[in-house]
Parts: sequence; C-alpha cells; structure tokens
Amino acid sequence: MTYGPAEMLTIALAREIKDGDVVFHGLASPVPMTAMKLAKALGKNFTELTITDGVDPAWDKPAFVGSTLSSNRLDGAVAYYGLDEIFDLACTGRVDISFLSLVQIDQGGHINMSYVGGTNAQPKLRMPGGAGTATLTRVTNRTTIWKTKHDTKSFVQKVDCATTTADPNKIFRVLTNLCIMNFQNGKLEVEGIFPYTTLAEVKENTGWEITQTDVPVIPEPTAEELAALEKVDPNRIRYIEF
Amino acid sequence: MPVGGMFGSDLLEYNPDFYSIMKSPFNGEEVVCVRSLQPDWAIVHVQEADIYGNARILGSKFQDILLSRAAKKTIITTEKIVDTEVMRKDPGLTAIPHFLVAAVVEAPGGAKPGICFNGSFAPEDNKADDAGMKAYLKAVKEDTVQEYLAKVTEGRV
Repeated sequence: MTYGPAEMLTIALAREIKDGDVVFHGLASPVPMTAMKLAKALGKNFTELTITDGVDPAWDKPAFVGSTLSSNRLDGAVAYYGLDEIFDLACTGRVDISFLSLVQIDQGGHINMSYVGGTNAQPKLRMPGGAGTATLTRVTNRTTIWKTKHDTKSFVQKVDCATTTADPNKIFRVLTNLCIMNFQNGKLEVEGIFPYTTLAEVKENTGWEITQTDVPVIPEPTAEELAALEKVDPNRIRYIEF
Repeated sequence: MPVGGMFGSDLLEYNPDFYSIMKSPFNGEEVVCVRSLQPDWAIVHVQEADIYGNARILGSKFQDILLSRAAKKTIITTEKIVDTEVMRKDPGLTAIPHFLVAAVVEAPGGAKPGICFNGSFAPEDNKADDAGMKAYLKAVKEDTVQEYLAKVTEGRV
C-alpha cells in the first residue's frame, strides 16, 4: 500500500504512544482518534480517554464519520470519565499525552487558539478559543500537537495571541504533514522530516527562520503499520483533515 | 476557584475580572483562580427522565452533568418519560437528580439537528444529520432561524 501525509502523520502520532500511557484527545480530532485506534491495533497497551468515547472503547470498530459525530464512539467502553474528571486527572500529573491542535504557533512555543488580526477586544477573526489548551499544555506530561497543514499562515514569526505557552519543564512536540518539531531550550526545532519532503520545503512553509542544516529523516510507515491503519480506518476518517 | 495550568496564557491579562493569581495557603505556590460561572438556566436533552426531573444520560455525557450542577435551575428535555420505578431500580444511572430540575419537557427528537445517540431514533437513523446541520447553519447565516425552527418543530413526530 502506498502512503501519503495522512498515513504518515497518523502513524507518527501512533508512534508517540507508549505502553502504560494515559492518552487524551478532545472533540473534532479525527486524526488523533485514528492514531489511537492504530496504536491499539499495533498492540500498544495504553488507556484511551476522550469526551465522547469513555474509557477504552472498542478500537476495532471503525468510526463511520468524523471523530465526535460517530454514533458508535462509546461502544465497548468500560467506563465513562467526564471532561471535568479528565482535567483533574491531568492537573494531578496523570495524563501522559494530550493531543491538541492550533491555529497559529511560533518558535517560542506559543499557541494561538483565540483570535487572528486586530486585538482581543476587536479581533478580525474570533476563534472558538483554547478550550482546555491553556490548562492542558501546562499539566500534561507530553503535549502532542497535530497540524495537518504546515504553512506560513500557521507557523508564524509571532502569534497574535498566546492562548498558551509550552512548559519548558515538560515535553512539547509538534507533528505536521511535513515534520516533527520538538521544544528544547525554549524554542521549537525540527527533530526530523518525513521521507517525502525536504528541509528546504519545511523552511519554506515556516514563518520563522530554521537555522538547522541537517535533520534526520523519519522512518517511513512499515507494511504492518499501513495494514493496521487500513483495518481500523476503512472509512478513511483520517482524510477529513487533509 | 483554583484551577491547574493557565500560566503562560495571554488570557490572564485579557480577562482580569475572570482570572486572578493567588498564593496557595498550603504550600505558598502561585495558583490561577477563576471566577465560577453560575448560569441562570441549563437546558439538557436526555434519553430518559421521569416527571420529577430525575434524568438518565445513556450516551456520552459531555459537560451536561457539570452544567446542571453549575446552573441555578435546569430544564430537562427528554426523548421519553419513564416511570420513577425505573430510576429506583438502578439509581446509579441517574445523571441529574430531580432537585436540580425546574421543568421536564417530553421532546422526542429534541436534539435535532444534533443527535441523541441511543434515543428514540431507529438504528439506521442513529447518525449525525449532516443535511439538518447544514440547514441550521444556513438559517443562522441568513438570519432565518425562526422560520427554520417553525419548519423543524412542525415536522417533528
């Protein structure tokens, strides 16, 4: 099976999950949802927590439509754990990964989910807001951002508003359709690029100056990973965001 | 009330009436406090409720339970009214107890164009109503929500 950015990003997200992790994603998160199913299919032993699905729903039941609108999301779950409880869990250091996304990000690890253009009082575009982002990035052990469109509109010199800032004492990673970035010593750096792109393309699509000249290429999806992905996502939910 | 995280967010600066930083009386660490929200009303649609307002949420609960606790009064709309005996048989399933509830409305399909999973819908209809959602969004954009609502409620079972 061939693969493209949708497969690569989903698989890369699944690789972030380790045995023993407690993993959370919010609403409208088709790619992380699929990545969690994939990680389960690949035999990773972790706890899945989301708002729609309860605790550890049946990973082998494919979603019909986008993550939170599928009627079978709660099927097979062993419990329901409310969002308020999930936040308390995160605040006591017991959530290992929160999958979050963003509208803008800059090299300083600032994420904007609030508004673009103008001021907070009079924005050009008011966005839905950070939901739990401002809390979760500070209390989750490994904040894991997914962004399916890596471009200079989103990867900017300076965000219009910092809805939250990466915690320098925690792990903060950004996975896009092109590469993986990691927050170290107060700034985001390219950790690796996907096999079908180049560092030049990443630089071209990033609003801040990337000074790195040589970065590793991330291993391409294995046949096992691609087969498992096809099995858990026959309805191609992962493409919704691409 | 104190909450976790929030440091490093511009929101603290934008909304000083809502956020305040205090020192924890227990360990002296700084902690962000938020003003609690107390809506006058919460409206929650459920699968089953009795006439007193004891309500069961049979699918994902989202923030509905929290809303009922925060609001001064809650209105329950329900797919169907069940006997209180149903609640007594399995009280652990009651998500919202009657004393929080000011009114109960029997409204099958009341979540339209959203969906109430495991509600009164036939299994084949137990999926998101994309066309209905688009019609609603169109009505909001065109400022014709009243006409839209009239159409939806007249068409309801």
